[in-house]
Amino acid sequence: MSVDPFRPHSRPGAASASPPTLSPTRRTVLAGALGALATPTLTGCAGLTERVSANAGRRRDRLSVQVYGTDVEVAFYDRLARRFEQSRRGVTVDLVSVPFSEASVGIDAALASGTAPDVFRVDYPTMGVYASADQLLDVGDALSDLRTDISPAFLEAVSHGGRIYGMPQHIDTSGVVYRPDVLRDAGITSVPDRPQDAWSWEEFAQVAQRLTDKAPDGRSAFAVNWQALGAFRWLNWLFQAGGHLYDADQSAATLDTPAARRALDFTSSFFRRGWVPDSTSTKGATLPDAQFTSGTLAMVLAGNFLLPAFSETIGKRFGYAVTYLPQDHRAAGELGGNALVATRGAANPELAADFLAFLGAPAQMRDFCQASVLLPTRSSLLAQRLDFAVADDLMPVYAQQVRTIGERDVADVTTATFAEVNLALANELEQCFLGGRSTGATLSALADAVDQPAGLNDEGGRA
Amino acid sequence: MTTDDVRLVAPAPTETTEPPPPQRRRIRVPVGWLMVAPNLVLIGLFLLVPLVWALIMSFQAKRSFGPGHWSGLENLGRLLGDGVFWRAMLNTGIFTLATVPLSVGIGLGLALLMNDALPGRGFFRTIVYLPIAVSTLVTSLVGLLLFDETVGIVNGVLRDLGLGTVRWQSEGGWAMVTVVVMTLWSRIGFGMLVYLAALQDVDKQVLEAAEVDGAGPFARVRHVVVPWLRPTTFFLVVINLIWSFQVFDIVYVMTNGGPGYSTTMLVTYAYDEGFGAARNFGYGATVGLVLFVLTLVVTAVQLAVNRRREV
Repeated sequence: MSVDPFRPHSRPGAASASPPTLSPTRRTVLAGALGALATPTLTGCAGLTERVSANAGRRRDRLSVQVYGTDVEVAFYDRLARRFEQSRRGVTVDLVSVPFSEASVGIDAALASGTAPDVFRVDYPTMGVYASADQLLDVGDALSDLRTDISPAFLEAVSHGGRIYGMPQHIDTSGVVYRPDVLRDAGITSVPDRPQDAWSWEEFAQVAQRLTDKAPDGRSAFAVNWQALGAFRWLNWLFQAGGHLYDADQSAATLDTPAARRALDFTSSFFRRGWVPDSTSTKGATLPDAQFTSGTLAMVLAGNFLLPAFSETIGKRFGYAVTYLPQDHRAAGELGGNALVATRGAANPELAADFLAFLGAPAQMRDFCQASVLLPTRSSLLAQRLDFAVADDLMPVYAQQVRTIGERDVADVTTATFAEVNLALANELEQCFLGGRSTGATLSALADAVDQPAGLNDEGGRA
Repeated sequence: MTTDDVRLVAPAPTETTEPPPPQRRRIRVPVGWLMVAPNLVLIGLFLLVPLVWALIMSFQAKRSFGPGHWSGLENLGRLLGDGVFWRAMLNTGIFTLATVPLSVGIGLGLALLMNDALPGRGFFRTIVYLPIAVSTLVTSLVGLLLFDETVGIVNGVLRDLGLGTVRWQSEGGWAMVTVVVMTLWSRIGFGMLVYLAALQDVDKQVLEAAEVDGAGPFARVRHVVVPWLRPTTFFLVVINLIWSFQVFDIVYVMTNGGPGYSTTMLVTYAYDEGFGAARNFGYGATVGLVLFVLTLVVTAVQLAVNRRREV
């Protein structure tokens, strides 16, 4: 609405009772000045919040969607959005892409100001905080088809309090990416090619030691992908040792166990024995995949979502292959990946839920995963040999590794407070890895973090 | 009522019988207020309102979204017993003590060097000032490129020279050194520029008189130039203190507060608590307020000390 500084009392559509005077009064001048000031200020504010205020129009036939991801993923989201528009006459999908590092902060601010997009992409460990704070739409009914074609573990990842708050679009997990040439030079001639033959921890330790002994100055045997928000990948070792983060009903920490001590002793020995670079600790600022592509690592634990980047960055400089994560008491891999969720305040909840169901349909899920080199959550698709855009020969290893993810493993990383626990994992583990803190003290500090109630999520401050 | 207020100016009384001229209303627009209004609005909107809001939130247990509740002095109580907070305080103090004197001192040294007969001084001035024109994010990334323990340039050179490598990222002391070095790189250009401007005001006659009295170059700098530049030095110390207390991006990009909590600063800690995974707005606001009070106290002390010297 435009402001006429010389007609402060006129209303749109109302005839003026007297001709306008050309002589400004103090009030009119002040009103005009404030109006002139407010217009660019408020316009500027709109510009600042536009990125997350995609639902500003609040039209029921318009859907705002925020995603993050690689260029390929974002481009494919756009294709799927157009496909949805074509199948739903008159509907428009506004797709906004943001960097992953900014996604959570942007969504938090948008939820606080009531300008959140109708639908947004979120990783499983972070989703719990939104679901438990009652910010998401229950989409259980809309996903009735998907629910019959998905492992209970993956459904658990988007559930909270018995309700389904998101569409688990894809999963990913880690494998051991290695350089056959370096392993061969170190005298390691065979690498597991079946899940049941995965290296035991003892065998993995022998391989690491042999690679370290043969490594030239400035190179290391391997690195683990547990930096920053990936700190929860330390839980792979805990699960493999037969331990868990929470007790069976998710009410308290279970870290005062032989399994937890064994897992922490083993993983801290990576640094003590010089198998991994010190800079790849849980708070490391550089990621190990960059070190692998630069040629300073013989092996790296890396998610399948990195394969396109490996293909592009490494090119033909050296060959690489993938094997299964080591196993101990059992085999285990982490639940990585992302879901799409709808906000509780969506302009058109039915349309938002319909969009999630559309993207969760077999054709859309398959196309997205094939193009982006990600693993689908539908059991029927996981059972098929998909035609991945790159690294088609390496993906079967990951597809088999995700089968080691158990229901209770998933429950451990999707609690209401897991985002905080994940931060505590990064902080406390580093104290042990680099700071020399004892295994017992570290596990005790972690248990304290796990036992913190989800007070901030609840109205009365009670968990 | 001030002179800026609107006044009606009545026509002067006349003794003639001519009809009085039509009344004209002259308005004195409050120009001063209009001039400062944009700044006042912006300061109010983006400084004072958030400040008061942060104060309110420090008494709450609250995320950025969803319900929250009043928690009284719970956040403050937690703060006092929080080892990480005290570590962040210590780190911020060490960082400030390292960066402020060095930024000001090196800035003065470079300004003295480039004020006089250094060949190609225009080129060198540009080189030194360039980092201040570059985003600190870029500076931080350059720092990461230099000091990466495994693939960084510095360790690469040290390795090639057979000197061994330094644990820039995994040893707390060295990590702090990298953060200080990159901060100095981005700051000394500003100090140099301000001192260069101030040096133009130093009275040449006084310098000549000192020289005639037998003062050498160092004595002239120490007893004439440095005292002459005291107001500039005061400004630079205060601004560098505030910048050091508020250090964020270089730490966030280069060390993420690690290893352990070796380079965690008050602002990075407040950010992690308020906007990181914890999303604890209340506690983050409490840490932020402590930083605000700290900055206020240090600046006030500096101001008082400087005034006393001037008297």
